[in-house]
Amino acid sequence: MPDPAAKRPRPLSPNIQNYRPQLTSVLSVTNRITGLALSAGAVVLVLWLVSAATGPQAYAAVQGAIASWVGQVALLGFTFAFFLHLCGGIRHLVWDTVHGFELRAIYASGWAVVAASLALTVAAWTASLFMGG
Amino acid sequence: MIIESSNQVPRATLLKRFPLPRNLGVAPGSRIGPGKTWPAPAGAVRVKSFEIYRYDPDTGENPRLDTFEVDLDECGPMLLDVLFWIKNKVDTTLTFRRSCREGICGSCAMTIDGTNWLACLRSISDLATPATIYPLANMPVIKDLVPDTTHLFAQYAMIEPWLKSKTPAPEGERLQSPEERSQVDGYYECILCFCCTSGCPSHWWNGNRFLGPAVLLQAWRWLADSRDEAAGERLDTLEDPMRLYACHTILNCTRTCPKGLNPGKAIAEIKKMVVERRS
Amino acid sequence: MDRRTMGSPLARAIGLGSARKGVKHWWAERVSAVALVPLTLWFAAAIIAHAGSDHAAFVAWLRTPLAAILMVLLLTALFHHTVLGLQVVIEDYMHSGAKFAAVIAVRLGCFALAAAGIVATLRITFGG
Repeated sequence: MPDPAAKRPRPLSPNIQNYRPQLTSVLSVTNRITGLALSAGAVVLVLWLVSAATGPQAYAAVQGAIASWVGQVALLGFTFAFFLHLCGGIRHLVWDTVHGFELRAIYASGWAVVAASLALTVAAWTASLFMGG
Repeated sequence: MIIESSNQVPRATLLKRFPLPRNLGVAPGSRIGPGKTWPAPAGAVRVKSFEIYRYDPDTGENPRLDTFEVDLDECGPMLLDVLFWIKNKVDTTLTFRRSCREGICGSCAMTIDGTNWLACLRSISDLATPATIYPLANMPVIKDLVPDTTHLFAQYAMIEPWLKSKTPAPEGERLQSPEERSQVDGYYECILCFCCTSGCPSHWWNGNRFLGPAVLLQAWRWLADSRDEAAGERLDTLEDPMRLYACHTILNCTRTCPKGLNPGKAIAEIKKMVVERRS
Repeated sequence: MDRRTMGSPLARAIGLGSARKGVKHWWAERVSAVALVPLTLWFAAAIIAHAGSDHAAFVAWLRTPLAAILMVLLLTALFHHTVLGLQVVIEDYMHSGAKFAAVIAVRLGCFALAAAGIVATLRITFGG
């Protein structure tokens, strides 16, 4: 017997195209994106160390690149990504102990991660400006 | 804002959908075309628009999004009442699953204004304007709002969701203290509507292997049962990079459960148990 | 890898069966994360303290035993965590054979970067 459904595969109902972004999914994908960004940051860290081991000239070149406005914007981005990933990671470690799963706790800790990351980024850059001042 | 229970509908949302191209990664046959508008009956005063996903397997055409203008004075207070009103008064071909109309059967789960919930438990007053109604996210669609859950029930069958015991059955009941019985509270109430699994990004990308929150919650329900003697076997089945560990604690599951259960916590309990047995 | 299209739904759900592994990866990700909390905070503090310092000052700092030890530990934990995290990302989104190539590339790349960073640190610490 011919099966009409066999003519064409069943369509898949939309997933990410239609599902509303929520604090849960947004912070999860943020943790992933910041993790990817920090992987790139880890490469920069190695470049920086290798340049310092090579000599003053190479080190000055890398320091110059970091001091340029592009470098400073990237560094600001890395700082925020670092604090988001750090705070988000601590939130995950708490969950791994089977704590903080009440919906209210999930949302409270989520917003706390956002607020703490912003505050720590501002604090780090303020401190850096005073130190380097 | 802080969400305190899963039935809470946010008053304002920054983003209705992720800012991605509408058809990114969507197979040509799953793309949603423009549909038709079904106007409100003449003389209707309180009118609300509902955008509803339609798919008819007999035509061979792509899914479409129809707009129905509903006379709210003519229909009951819940979304399921709207669907009945449309089917009775406007388009008899509109197809959806329903049974109990009181949140115990799990049949009418669908994606309502971008999150999964039961149509019978969603009040019209909590819906956006226009309201958008899709079948459960990321499911093969049989017709209109009816998803094909075959794979999800096969995954459910895989965890062998029944009491497994080697001890010969006692004369009477298998005894359990009140404390032991309370360990399955918050888990045995699952009605398998699959709102959670359908809302889980990990299941979207790896649903062929990742078991998803509903099935993992069910797995924990048996791991947590003091009468069950198959914990080791069950953990062997679960411990797999995809089956269990594709869960990255996104927690869309706990956010969406219409029964207010906590699949995310159940999965964390399983991961903890796997660690406990190896150290 | 869905090898069956006409098989039963249960056969498709079972697939190739349980790998009976995964907890090691998950656990190592957590252990390296725990290590990275103090190490990265130390590193951030050190960067702030040495913002804009010249080569001589930087070398002098990295020659202190504490800084050298912590830097080597940081690089070790950082790239261990990176390789574990990137592998999960790859396995989540890539489903063709290219997945294996990507995992191998990430593994080898992270090993190489960790080695380069550690050697550079030790060269500065013990260099003439």
